Amino acid sequence: MESVIAGLIIAVIKILVILGIVLGVGAYLTWVERKVAAHIQRRPGPMVVGWHGLLQPLADGVKLITKEDLFPRYGNKFLYNLAIVLALVPATLVFAVVPFGPEFELFGYKIKPILTDVNVGLLLVFGLGSLAVYAIAIAGWASNSKYPLIGSMRKAGIIISYEVAITFAVMGPLILAGTLSTYEIVQRQIEQNLWYIWVQPIGFVVFLFSLLAETGRVPFDIQEAEAELVTGFTVEYGGMKFGLFPLVEWYVEVLSLSAIAVVLFFGGWSPINIPFLGFVDPLFFLGPFSPYVWFLLKVTALFLFILWLHWTLPRYRIDQITEIAWKVMLPLALINIVLTAIIAPIVWR
Amino acid sequence: MIKRVMAKPLSWIERALFIDFIRGLSVTIRHAFSRTITTHYPYEKLTPPKRFRGFFAHKVVDGNEPQPAYDEWVERFKIEVIPGKSRCVVCMLCKRACPVPQLFEIEGKKLENGRRVVSVFNMNLMLCTFCGFCVDACPVDCLYQTDIHETASYTRKDSILDLELLERIGRDWQARRENEPDRIWIDDSQRDKLWHENDLKLPEPQFRGRHEW
Repeated sequence: MESVIAGLIIAVIKILVILGIVLGVGAYLTWVERKVAAHIQRRPGPMVVGWHGLLQPLADGVKLITKEDLFPRYGNKFLYNLAIVLALVPATLVFAVVPFGPEFELFGYKIKPILTDVNVGLLLVFGLGSLAVYAIAIAGWASNSKYPLIGSMRKAGIIISYEVAITFAVMGPLILAGTLSTYEIVQRQIEQNLWYIWVQPIGFVVFLFSLLAETGRVPFDIQEAEAELVTGFTVEYGGMKFGLFPLVEWYVEVLSLSAIAVVLFFGGWSPINIPFLGFVDPLFFLGPFSPYVWFLLKVTALFLFILWLHWTLPRYRIDQITEIAWKVMLPLALINIVLTAIIAPIVWR
Repeated sequence: MIKRVMAKPLSWIERALFIDFIRGLSVTIRHAFSRTITTHYPYEKLTPPKRFRGFFAHKVVDGNEPQPAYDEWVERFKIEVIPGKSRCVVCMLCKRACPVPQLFEIEGKKLENGRRVVSVFNMNLMLCTFCGFCVDACPVDCLYQTDIHETASYTRKDSILDLELLERIGRDWQARRENEPDRIWIDDSQRDKLWHENDLKLPEPQFRGRHEW
């Protein structure tokens, strides 16, 4: 009985910590994005509110909350509001299976820094990822307006195409690790002395493309397409309801999929890897905090890389995007699976 | 004859290694770590060139009037010349030259000694396009445009420049910039820095690689 209560308390603490980190960081990533975009365009970005604009997300939040809540005539109010919940919840839930570090012991309790170490973690991730399409389709439908409808249909097409590619892309690491649990995948990479990126470069590229497509980042931000669709499916939303969609799509989802990419391809919390030989840890002086810092560093690097791509590349047309998905990415992923099956015994040893 | 023009497509190696992506990324990363080229507007302001077409002003009588034009116009209209007041001779040429004449509201009045002086000179900047025709038309170099370009106001009434305000702007401008050489770009250190920092070197046009056609 006591252990059950302890488990519950630990779970609640984990939930609070993860929610706080994810939503807080998600809000602040708007500032990061604006800074990166500005410097790429040789502007300084937000500078006025706080030191180098550090309080800008708070100012934006206050502005969005105090705005008028508009609702389009003849729209469907229930679905309109449901779309927001459907967008936010699955994107945040993905963090339930993201392992932040190795198991440690505190006051005699063994604690894994992962909310639920379910043995089908990855399946959960992609199940929740597929749910995102419902939020967008419903948002476009409930708005009763043509731009949102076009935007949501485009997004639905993209997600359906890339769900297939991303699922086949993660098949490689799965074969090598032999498990679906995210925590176990990282453990296997540490045991095998191998980040899977070294043997899965094709898989990683396919995963990265699918990540960009699923989160609506450039070059696949066709559902936004400011020049054509204003802002796509969020046109008819106002105030914080409007603010929530980009927050979820561009920050929380990118963050969660970056974390999954780090888990699958970059060995989660493990330090720098020399293939098959071992790990080099330049941050050894941090002691037990080193794994968390490594995980954070990797996710940050991946996120910044995605931002960098976003503010560099132009946008593909919708037919080109789906063409890439079905004609390039899917065959590449299948080839990757075959190659992985060949080299898997070398990795297993 | 129509010349068919097409860029050479990327080779398979270039596509597989994302060469074009990498080129674009290298450009953006170089820009991301170079210095910003913006001016922080409310805190830093560029000084516009002397010939900038901003708010209007009346030059005041200070002994620098264009001669002999000024004396001729004064004689013709029997104008009372008061030092420190507007040079306006109420000839209405500015109103005549204006594409939106109703923005001017000009009146003169007769003094006790029989000479005249300008009494009302209102300009409604709501209607103004800042084209500067009125300035060109002014025969006595009285009406002209200054470097004041922050035209926002809280009420519509504030956008009307009356005689007193025009004279005040004029005195201010004459004190600040009348003696400046009339150049396009003045020696503004900020502008100069921005202008030369770019170190713009245009390469010779080269036609090769996949842009060759």
